[in-house]
Formats: sequence, structure tokens, C-alpha cells
Amino acid sequence: MRQILNIAHYEMLHIFKEKILFLMVFLVPLGYAALFGAAYVSAVLNNVPVAIVDLDDSKLSREIAAAFANSPHFKVIDGIKTYAELQEGMKNGRVRAGVIIPEHFEQDISRHALTRVLTIYDGSNLIWGYNTRKYIREVFNDFIAGRAASYLAGLGYTKNEVRAIMDTVSLNTEVWYNPTFSYTNFLYMGLIMIILHQIGLLSVSLTVTREKERRTWLQFLSAPVPAWKIFAGKALPYFVAGFFNYALLLWFAARFIQVKIGGSLPLILLLGLLYDVIITAAGFFISTRAPNSLQVTRYVMLLSVPLFMISGFTWPWTHIPAYINFLARLLPSTWMMLGFRQVALKELEMSYVLPHIWALILMAFLAVLAAVTFPKRLNPPPDAGPAINSGPSYPSRWK
Amino acid sequence: MLRQCLAIMRREVFYLWRDRGLRHILLFGSLLGLMLFYAVYSAQVLKDIPTAVFDLDNSAASRELVDKIGKAEYLKLVASTASYDDLRELIKQGKAVVGVVIPENYGRNLALGRQARVLAVIDGSNMIYATNASAALLTVTRTLSAQAGVSALVARGVQLQQAKDAYQAIDISEEAWFNPALNYAYFLVLALALNIWQQCCTLAACLNVIGERGMKSWLQIRACGISKFRFFASKSIAQIFIFMAVVLPLYILGFGALKLPLNCSWAALLLFTLAFAIAVHSIGTLASSFARNAVDAARFGMIIALPSFVLSGYTWPLEAMPVYLQKVAWILPQTWFFQGINYFAFKNAGWNLMAHYILAMLAIAAVCYGAAAVFIARS
Repeated sequence: MRQILNIAHYEMLHIFKEKILFLMVFLVPLGYAALFGAAYVSAVLNNVPVAIVDLDDSKLSREIAAAFANSPHFKVIDGIKTYAELQEGMKNGRVRAGVIIPEHFEQDISRHALTRVLTIYDGSNLIWGYNTRKYIREVFNDFIAGRAASYLAGLGYTKNEVRAIMDTVSLNTEVWYNPTFSYTNFLYMGLIMIILHQIGLLSVSLTVTREKERRTWLQFLSAPVPAWKIFAGKALPYFVAGFFNYALLLWFAARFIQVKIGGSLPLILLLGLLYDVIITAAGFFISTRAPNSLQVTRYVMLLSVPLFMISGFTWPWTHIPAYINFLARLLPSTWMMLGFRQVALKELEMSYVLPHIWALILMAFLAVLAAVTFPKRLNPPPDAGPAINSGPSYPSRWK
Repeated sequence: MLRQCLAIMRREVFYLWRDRGLRHILLFGSLLGLMLFYAVYSAQVLKDIPTAVFDLDNSAASRELVDKIGKAEYLKLVASTASYDDLRELIKQGKAVVGVVIPENYGRNLALGRQARVLAVIDGSNMIYATNASAALLTVTRTLSAQAGVSALVARGVQLQQAKDAYQAIDISEEAWFNPALNYAYFLVLALALNIWQQCCTLAACLNVIGERGMKSWLQIRACGISKFRFFASKSIAQIFIFMAVVLPLYILGFGALKLPLNCSWAALLLFTLAFAIAVHSIGTLASSFARNAVDAARFGMIIALPSFVLSGYTWPLEAMPVYLQKVAWILPQTWFFQGINYFAFKNAGWNLMAHYILAMLAIAAVCYGAAAVFIARS
């Protein structure tokens, strides 16, 4: 135990001595969480800029315009009066939706002639597209219901009779787990898990490469200390820091970004603990195999986007090909992100998260096994001609 | 002078080639990304949202309703459950995203003109599913209310045409511009691959200065009497040329083989991309000019490159971000590039807007190169 603590102490000195490493371990995760939190803090996409091209200018067309103006989801942009202006506005992003009411619209409706309102929305960004389509339908459903109620009142029905007719069949929609359609609840914790994964992996994966570059790794290899103790000592500070960051970021998300983090606290802690073990062990394993810190930094950083995208956290896994799903299931980030959503957002109990927990336990076991069985010998440098930045050194001003 | 510049460029290409890690990243990083993301989004349109029904009535009217829900755009009936608990269980397990509960006596109430309430449940934990499911159910609601209302009025002795006038007076059609099928692959695949590309380019550019000054050969170069400006300018031209050579197969594969939409001209697109490649290179150069070593330079560059896609507003719109963050985002060339890719590839927003975007990126590049020059000169 003393040997492990000594190695851990030595590693702690490195972390506190190297300013950039210190920032990465303790501040960068919170910094990224704050940055993404600020980006998604509004949570719901409101005030979609919409143009009303009213070619009729009748009472009915003005009622339609008013319905959009009164909707909290839309913001009517003035000054777009023609179809050509609308086309231009859609192209340059001034508006994201448009409503075109044709000439003689009210007159045609009263004559039962064929006429229709055309609604358009921007499909080039599907966050705009999906939400705007939904909002347009909501506005028109309300508008049609309001008109029907007025029409029935005009036929002489009382208020109660109108309500009875209108409510003959009603489809009441309940949205579970995320009733406000909050993008923050949907997305933010996935980003947090990737931040913890990447920054954690990057920090710990430099622990052995740093020793190799300073030619001090030989001391570890030649010391009468078993491999598992070297791993335990060197990984311990990163493990503790990783769990601290996990707790800190969850608190930050719930307190400042208002992300829903419900469900069982022991389950959330268990998931975090397993995730942290995997990241720390996998990072150490990478570090023992990597030629230098530069290569590790390059490869690890490039993995962030693919890890997030293939996980099925945003685009549903049911619509992802089986071989990509298979690949995603080999990664701890997939299980963690989906498992965390089950617990924190859907507030489900243990039985629904068991597959995630078993998968993470298996990965933790394999990662630790791989980390503690590194060979205690120095490999000779490969002789493959003039290789640049692939050996134990890389450009540095202090050499 | 030209021969000297060409020699430096040739040396730079050789250096990049011999850096095996960087070679792999530049050659395969963004191409692998494009293929991976295309595979992820190969379904392209989010259809067949799994829907479960709990029909307590089991009448002709309820079966008609189930049929209507099954035929609604994007919904797909996957289960008919025997209890509400079963339905809830399916949603909990994620096997159904939409659940519909039809009450007892639904058909009878409908025939008698009494109120009948149908419950629809949507799993809101995945917003891509939830927004589409909600939009689909809104259409079902509209049709269902109208039909039931017309029937109720006819049952009360109102003439059929008059009853239809009450509910179906306004006909509405919807069009999604620039991406009519709401194809998710069109929206995201190329942008994600370009995001990987700009990260790869940042990594390469982060070696521009420290890759020379951090090596012992730097003394030799200084002793040769080559001006620093000429030396780094030649290196930069070679690197930017390589960045463009890397993005070209990405565009050919994306717009040619995968048929992603390209509505502006190839020349305009390449010019726009060139301006961005210069801007990204300038950021990498700046990072490498003050970093102590290549690892720190890569870290500094990637601190900007990694979150820039989220901040660019390509997915979650800039307009929905706080104003101060929008101002920060517009400092980054990635914001101009990804916004521009949307405006030009999808919408062909015109040369005036593109010129504005190109100038903005070149201005950022000028500032970064200027700052890098100061760092290089002072050291």
C-alpha cells in the first residue's frame, strides 16, 4: 500500500507542477461543461422567425397572421410582403418559415372554391425544420378549432354545446420524461459524458508517455514493484479527480443548467464509478503502448465526435445499421450515456439499467486486466527509416 | 527565391509524410468519418417511429382509429398490448416511443355523440423521436377532431356541407425547403465529416512553428540565412495545399457518390473552403507559435477546434444561444464556415453573402497570422 501511495504522490506532484495538465484535470471539464451549458441554456427553440405573405389582406387572412403573431413559438418578421422576398429571406436566414395566403383566399373559401394556405419551413437545419413543422401544426390546429367554435356559435349553439361538440373525440397527448421538449434534458448529459471520457482519457494516457519521454520509465520497469502497483499508484490520482469531476459536473448541470437529474442516486454513483474505472484503466493501457504524448493527444481528441454520433444517443439506434450498433456497444461511452439517460431522465429502476451495468462491469474488468498486465520491459525503437514524431520524442523548445 | 520556396514546400510535404501519425490522420481521418457518419444516418429519414396501442374498446370504431394511427406519417404500429402496464413497460424499455390508449366504450360514445378521450403518450427522452412523433400526432388529432365534429353536427341535424364548413374550411399544405424529404443524412453527414477534417487540419497546423523551432535543425535553418517570413510562408502554403487536397476527395465522395445536396458552384465552394483552410491554418500556426512543445500546441489548437462545431450553430441554432455566446462564436472561423456550408451548399445564398463570409474568415486569419508573427519575431 505504501508503494502505491508513494507512486500516487509522485504522480500528484506532476499534476500540480505541470500547469496545463493541472488545468486539464481540474478545470477544462468544468470549462467545457459551462460552455456547452451556455449554448443549450435556452433549452427550447422559440421565436422562430416567420414571414407572413398575405396576398389576400382580408379579415380571415389577418386572423391567420394574428394566430402566428400570438404564438410564443413564432416571431413574425415584418417587411416581407412578396413571395420573392420570402425566397430571399429563407436563403439568407432572415426567416426560417413562411406562410403564404393566396389572393382571393377568403372569397374562394366562402364560394367553396379550391384554395389553400401554403406553409414553408427551412429543412436545411433539421432542428429548425422539425420544431417549426410541429409549431406550424400546433398553430393551425388551434386556429381551426377556434374557427370551428366561432362557426358553431354563429349557428346558435350555446357555449356548453359548442364545447361538447368540439370535444366529441379528443386526443390528449402526454409527453413523458421530458414534457417541455427541452433540448438541454435531451442532449446535455451526453455531452458531459463525452467530456469526462475524453478529458479523463487524455489526462491519464499521458502518465506513462511522459515518463518515457523523460527517460524515467526505466526506473519503474527496473524497480521491484509489480505492474499492478505501478498502475494503481499512477492511476489513483486520475481516478479520484475523474470521480470528483463527475460529481462536480452533475451538480453544475442540475444547479445552473437546470438539467433534470432524477432517479436513484446510488445507481448514478455506481454508473459514474464504473465509467471512471474504465476511463482510468483504458487511459493507462493506451499510455503504456503509445510511442509519445503527441500521438496520444492527436488520436484521443479526434475520437470525440464519432464516439458521440455512433452511440445512438441522438439519432436513435433503431435507425442505425446493426454493424455500427455492434461497434458502438464495444464502447463504454455508449453504455454510460444510454444508461445514464435511463436513470437520470427516465428515472427507471435498477432492472432497466442492469444490461448497462453488466456491460460496464465487464469493460472495467477487461480494461483493468489490460492495464495491469503491461510488459515490464523496454521495447527497442523500430528501425523504419527517418520517422518524424513517431518515436519517444517530439518537438519541444526546452530540449 | 522561387526555387528556395519550392524546396521548402517540398521539404514540408516530406516531413508531413514521414510523420506517420499525422499522415494517417490527414489521409484517412475525415474520409473514415464521412463513411462512418453516412452509415450511421443511412436510414436518412426518421420513419417508422415504434408505436404501441392499448385498445380497451376493440370495436369497429377503435380499430379504425388504430388503423389511422398506424397509417400516420412516420408512425409504425409495433405492438398491441393487453394492459396499460404493458404499454408503459414498452415505453420504459424503449421498445415503443408512442403509446395510444383507447378507452372503453369509445365506439359507443362516438356513435352516441358523447365525449371520448383518447390518450397518446410520447417518450420525450429523445427529442428527434419526440418532435417527429408529436408532429405526426398533431395531424392525427386534426383529422380525428374534424371527422368526429362533423359527425356530431350531422347527428344534431346540421347539413353535411355546413358541418364540413365548420371544420374543414381551411386547407393547409406544408413544404420543407432546401431539404424536402427532411433527410437527416443531408443535414448532418457532410458537416460532421468536415468537422473531423478541420480538427485534422488544426492538428497538422499546430506543428507549423514548434515543429521547426522545437528541433535542433532550427539552428541550421537559421544559419542558412533564410528569412523567417519566407520560410514559414512557404511551409504554410504547402500545408494549406495539402488541406485542400484532403478535402477534395471528401467533397467528391459526398456530393458525387453519396449525392449530398450542392446548390452552389464547385468553384465557389472550393474558394469558400480555401478561405476556411487558411483561417484554420492560422489558428494552428498561432497555437504553435507560443506553445512550449508540440503536445501543448495540439492541445491549444484542439481546445478551439473541439467545441467549435457545437458553438457554430450548425445544429442547435445560434439564435437560440445567449447573445454574448453568439458574439464569441462569430470570432471563430468554424462558425463562418459551418453557417456558410449551410447557406451555400443547401441554399445557394449568393455571391454577396459568400464574399462577406470569405472576408470574415480571411480577417480572422490575418489577425492570427499577425499575432503568430509577433510571437515568432519576439522569440
